[in-house]
Amino acid sequence: MTERTEHFDEDLDLKASSRFSNDLKALFEPQRGVPPEVDRTVLDRAQKHFAQMQPGKVKRLRIHWAWRIAAAAAVIILAFSLDLTKQGGPTTDSFPISETRAADIDRNGRVDILDAFKLAKQIESAGPAETEWDINGDGLIDRGDVDVVALAAVRLDKGVL
Amino acid sequence: MNKTMSIILTGICLIVPVLAQQSDQGYSTAHSGVRFAPLYIYLDSGNKSLAAYQFELEAFAGQIKIVGVEGGRHEAFKEAPYYDPAALAKDRIIIAAFNTGSDLPKGRTRVATIHLQIIGETEPQYELKLIVAADADGKEIPAEITFEKGE
Repeated sequence: MTERTEHFDEDLDLKASSRFSNDLKALFEPQRGVPPEVDRTVLDRAQKHFAQMQPGKVKRLRIHWAWRIAAAAAVIILAFSLDLTKQGGPTTDSFPISETRAADIDRNGRVDILDAFKLAKQIESAGPAETEWDINGDGLIDRGDVDVVALAAVRLDKGVL
Repeated sequence: MNKTMSIILTGICLIVPVLAQQSDQGYSTAHSGVRFAPLYIYLDSGNKSLAAYQFELEAFAGQIKIVGVEGGRHEAFKEAPYYDPAALAKDRIIIAAFNTGSDLPKGRTRVATIHLQIIGETEPQYELKLIVAADADGKEIPAEITFEKGE
């Protein structure tokens, strides 16, 4: 901790030579702006270039874009008018009334869950099957037919059979 | 230029009412108070096994929308029951289910849960009608149907 700190720059010669000074100036001199002649030439050429475009061409270009916008608007309107945001779930409206009549498995004059229940029991017991129980017409009497009968039972618009 | 502007303005005039109409429903419900609540459906078949049921629910004296249907508590009716998908977003639904197995509930059991969207402050009233209940042999049995409102 006894270290001495000494300065030895008291007699330092800070004068630089004029040549060195000029070199430094040239090196760090700020760059000059674009000369006005160059600026004017660029401007003239740009004006000439845009003057070559015919007014009709510009108008056609604008109309072209207008049609694109109009077409996009028409698509949006159509999409909203069709209400594409609604998800179309499965409905029971797809099968005709004749199939609904066939769904009356126990022939009591109404289609309810007991028809589906009896058909399911019949399928599980592998008992004798009637061809008309193939409600969905796929050539098989299986769980698919049971589902069709059950869905016929819960239809909101089934009315009176 | 005038033609272009007129096309754009016509487009805007057509789009704005359509968009307003689309958002109208959501906006009005947001301001009139919308809440969701379950409705638990119970069937009491007494000392007989319950193998199949069908009931109809209709709401009145309030504005509701059915938004979902769930099965019951007992294993035999745990799966989602049959219902018409067209009933969703309406206030009337017919629900049915059956089980051909031997493990069937007796007494009072929850057979289904109906999820409702209740719009407005009016407390809806429900009409619940049992269409049919049957035992394991497919024989109709007397049963009592009730509901409980959930939070």
